[in-house]
Amino acid sequence: MLDTMTKVIDDLSEKDVAFADIRQESHASTQILVVNGDLRRFSRATKAGTVARVLIGECWGMASTSEALTAEVCKNLLSSSAKSAKANAKFSRKNLDFSEIKPIEKSVWQESKVDPAEVSTEEKLEFVMALDKGQKIDDRIVNTNSVYNDAKRIFRLVNTAGSRLEWDELRTLAIVQPIARQGERMHFDYNVKGGRAGYELIQQIDPDAFSAECSKGALDLLTAEKPPSGKMTVVADGGISGLIAHEVCGHASEADEVVKGRSFLTGQVGNQLGTEHVTMVDDGTLKEASGSYPFDSEGTPASRTMIIENGVFKGYLHTLETAGLMGVNPTGNGRAQDYNRRIFARMTSTFFDKGDWNDEELIADTKDGLYVIKAMSGMEDVVGGGVQCSALKGYIIKDGEATQLVRSMSLAGKVLEILKTVDAVGNKLEFWGGSCGKGEEDFLPVSSGGPLMRAEMVVGGG
Amino acid sequence: MNLADIADKTVSLAEKSGATQAEVYAVHVKIASVYIDDDIPKIGSSMIESGIGLKYIIGKRIGFTSSTLAQERPADVVERAKSLANSSSEDSKFVSLPDPKKVSGSPDKFHDKETASADSELLMEKAMEVVKAAASSNVSVPNGSLRTSSIRYHINNSLGVNTGSKGTLIFGFFTAKSQDTGGVGEGVQRCWSREIGTIDFGKLGEKLQSQALSVLKAKAFKEKWDDAVAILTPSEGAEMIYDLVASAVSGENVNKRSSPWADKMGEKVASDVLTIHDNGLSEKGLLSSVVDDEGVPTQNTTILEKGVLQSYLFDSYNANQLELPSTGNGIRRAPRELAGRFSMTPSCAGTTMEIKPGSKSVEDLIGEIKRGVYIEHFAYPLVDPMTGAFSNEVRNARIIENGELGDPIKYALWIGNLFDSIKGDMQIANNLEVHDKKIVPSIAFPNTELVGQ
Repeated sequence: MLDTMTKVIDDLSEKDVAFADIRQESHASTQILVVNGDLRRFSRATKAGTVARVLIGECWGMASTSEALTAEVCKNLLSSSAKSAKANAKFSRKNLDFSEIKPIEKSVWQESKVDPAEVSTEEKLEFVMALDKGQKIDDRIVNTNSVYNDAKRIFRLVNTAGSRLEWDELRTLAIVQPIARQGERMHFDYNVKGGRAGYELIQQIDPDAFSAECSKGALDLLTAEKPPSGKMTVVADGGISGLIAHEVCGHASEADEVVKGRSFLTGQVGNQLGTEHVTMVDDGTLKEASGSYPFDSEGTPASRTMIIENGVFKGYLHTLETAGLMGVNPTGNGRAQDYNRRIFARMTSTFFDKGDWNDEELIADTKDGLYVIKAMSGMEDVVGGGVQCSALKGYIIKDGEATQLVRSMSLAGKVLEILKTVDAVGNKLEFWGGSCGKGEEDFLPVSSGGPLMRAEMVVGGG
Repeated sequence: MNLADIADKTVSLAEKSGATQAEVYAVHVKIASVYIDDDIPKIGSSMIESGIGLKYIIGKRIGFTSSTLAQERPADVVERAKSLANSSSEDSKFVSLPDPKKVSGSPDKFHDKETASADSELLMEKAMEVVKAAASSNVSVPNGSLRTSSIRYHINNSLGVNTGSKGTLIFGFFTAKSQDTGGVGEGVQRCWSREIGTIDFGKLGEKLQSQALSVLKAKAFKEKWDDAVAILTPSEGAEMIYDLVASAVSGENVNKRSSPWADKMGEKVASDVLTIHDNGLSEKGLLSSVVDDEGVPTQNTTILEKGVLQSYLFDSYNANQLELPSTGNGIRRAPRELAGRFSMTPSCAGTTMEIKPGSKSVEDLIGEIKRGVYIEHFAYPLVDPMTGAFSNEVRNARIIENGELGDPIKYALWIGNLFDSIKGDMQIANNLEVHDKKIVPSIAFPNTELVGQ
C-alpha cells in the first residue's frame, strides 16, 4: 500500500503544487455498553479511507474516499485536490514554502503489554458486567451505565518532501455513569479511565471500587446544595485545572489562530502572563496518555512544547504551515479527526505543570473558598480570553476544611486575570482520556488533567 | 455501490449463516466543503464515503459490526457479526427488529438536487459572499466553514423492511473579529438548511459584521441580578431547550429510569405557551425523511401540548419494551456529521424539534420586560438535562430595562434551572429559525439570575 502511495506522489506533475501528501487510515474499535445489567451494545466497527492534500499558493485542496486504495484512486484524489486548491488559489496572497521539510522514513508500532485483540470477549464482557454491578450499592441508584472501548488506528503517509511513514495508535477506555434518584431529585456522577495503552490499562481497574466510589458520589449529590455565586477563591482539582489549560490557554496557543491574529495570545511570547507558579505544557509524548501519538496527521513527530514557563509565555503549537509562517520548527500538532476532516493545529495533552504544594496542605491553607471537582465541559474563547468551564460538584472551604457539598457550577473570568492570581499549585499530576473539538466539531482524542490549582474566579451554579 | 442490493445480499448471508434476525443499514454520503481562513478560502474539499452497519441476532443475543467494505467483503462482515452475537450475552429487553410498515411519500421528498450537486468551488463563491459582506476596515472573518451534504440510505431486515430515503443539508459557521483601540469583539453566525438556495449569504455576512461590532461596544457586566428574564435568540435557546426536552422524552431514558419525566405522562410540566412537536416530516427539518434509520415511517409526534406531556419518543427497541409502536425515532444520522454514521446503532433520538411560535415579535417581548437581558451568544449554551441546572457564560448580550434594549454587555454568568423556568411565565416569539435539529423562535425565560464578574 505504501509503495502504491509513494509511486503516485512521486509521479505528481501538477504545475504550481508546492506540497502534497496522501494519508491512508484504517480504524477498528470494539464497544461494549451495559445498561442496568443488560448488554445493550456489543459492537466492532471498522472503516478505512484515504485522503490527499495539495497546496497551491497558500490554499489547499483536499479529497477523500472510502474506496479501496489503488493507484487510480490516489491519482483521482490528488487530481480533485489540485482542482480545489487551484480554485481557492485565486484568492492567495502569498506562496507558502515547504521546501525545508525534512523527509522521514519510519514504521512505528505501539507496544502494549496486553493486546486487546488477544483478550477474550468473555473477559471483556465480564469486566463491563462487573463495572455495572459495582454501581448498584443502594436502591436509590436507579440507572447504571458502563462502557468499555478499545480503538486501533493504523496510518500510512507519504508526501512530496519524501516522507514515508506508517504507524498505529491503540487506545482503551472504561467509563461508568450511575444515576441516583430520591423523590424528584436526580443526579449522576461519572468515573473514567483511558489512555493510549493496551488492555493492561483496563486490568489496573478494580471494578467494584471504581464503580462504588462513583455511585457514592451520585448519592451524595442528592443532598448537595446550590453553590454560592460571585468572585471567590477557587481550588480547582486536576480535571478542572486541565480544562482551563486546555480550553483557554491551549486553544489560543494553537498557531493557526495566531498567524491570523485571532488569538488573544498573539504576540505574547516573552511576556509575563501569570504568577511564577504557572507553567503550562502541551506534551504529545506522555507515556500512555490518550493525547499521545508518534506522528501527527502531517507526519511530524509529536513533541513536548513549553507554552508558559514560570508565568512567561513561551510558544505556540504548530502545523507544518504555521511553523513555516513563523519561522520555527513544527511541533507535531497538525491533527485531523479522520480522513474526512481537515488538518489544523490541535492540542495533545495540555496541562499546568505540577507545583510544590501537597494537596491536603493546599486546602488547609485556604481560609474561605470553593474546592471544585469533576470537570464536565468547557468552551474556548480564543478572541477574548474568557473562561467557561463547568464542573459537576464542589465543596465549600471554611477555615481550611472542605465542608458542604455543592452541585453543578460554572467557572468564569478572564484568563489573563486568573493566571495572575494563581498562588498555589499541587505536586501531583493525574490524567484522563478525553475528546476535544475545535469550532464546535473535529473531535479527536486528547488527555485532560493536571495538578490542584488555586486562583480567583467567578462561580455560578443553578 | 447499489445500496439496496448490498443490504439485501448481506441480510441474506446473515440469515444463511444462522441469524434469527438481521438488519443492514447501508449508506452513501457525499460532502463538499470550503473553509475560510483569514478572509480567504483556505481549503476546498470533497469527500465520498459508503458503508454498512449489520445487526446480527441469535435469539436475544445481538452483535453489531460495520465496515466501509474497502478492505473486506460482506461475507467477512457477516462472520464478524456472527462471532460477536455468539459471544454476547442475552439482552433480556430485546423483542424484535421492526416489522415493515407502509411508507408514504417518495424517498426523494427531502432531497434537493442543487444542494446535492454543489461542489467546493460553488461553496467558495457563497462563503466569499459572507466574507465580503462582513469584512470592513475593523472587521475580519478569521474562521468559517460551509458544507453541503447529500445522503442516501437503505435499510433491509429479516422481517421484510426494505426501504430507504435521501436527504440534503447545508451548514455554515462563521466568526468575525472586530477590533479598535478599545479592544476586540467576536461575532458568530451559523446557517442551516436543506436547500442551498434558501440562504441569503450576503445577509448572513451583514449580521456577522453587525454582531462583531456590537460586541466591541460591550462592557463587562458587574452587577448581580437575582430575578431576571432572559430572552435567548433561536440559536442559543434551541440548544438548551432541546437538550432538556429531548433527554426527558427519550424512550430510552424513560425505560432506564434516567428521565425526570419518566412518570409524568399527561401531567403539566411547562407553561401553557409551550407546545413542542418532534416532526420527522418537517418541511425544513435537516433530518426529515420518509423513514427513520430502522426503516420505520417517520411521523409528527406531539411531545408537549400547552405544557402538558403528551408523548415520549421511541425507537423500536424501546417501544417494544412497553408494547407501544415506534414513533419513527430510531436515529443514526446527525446534521453536523453525516459521515461515519453506518458505524452507529440506532438510538432513540429526536428528528426535528418544532416549537410552536407565539404571536408576538421579539420587540414585543422586549417591550414587556422591566429588567432582563437579551442574549445573542453564549460561550456555549449548556444545561444539565437531569437536573435542569445551567450556568452559562454570556459572550454577547444587551441589557433590557423598562421595555427597551440598553447597553451591550459581555462576561456575565446566566444562572438558573430550566425545568423551573419553563414552568414559569415564559414567553415565545414568532421568529422561527432552523438550528441543527431544531426549529425554534426566540424565547423569554423567567426566574433566572445574571451574575457579573
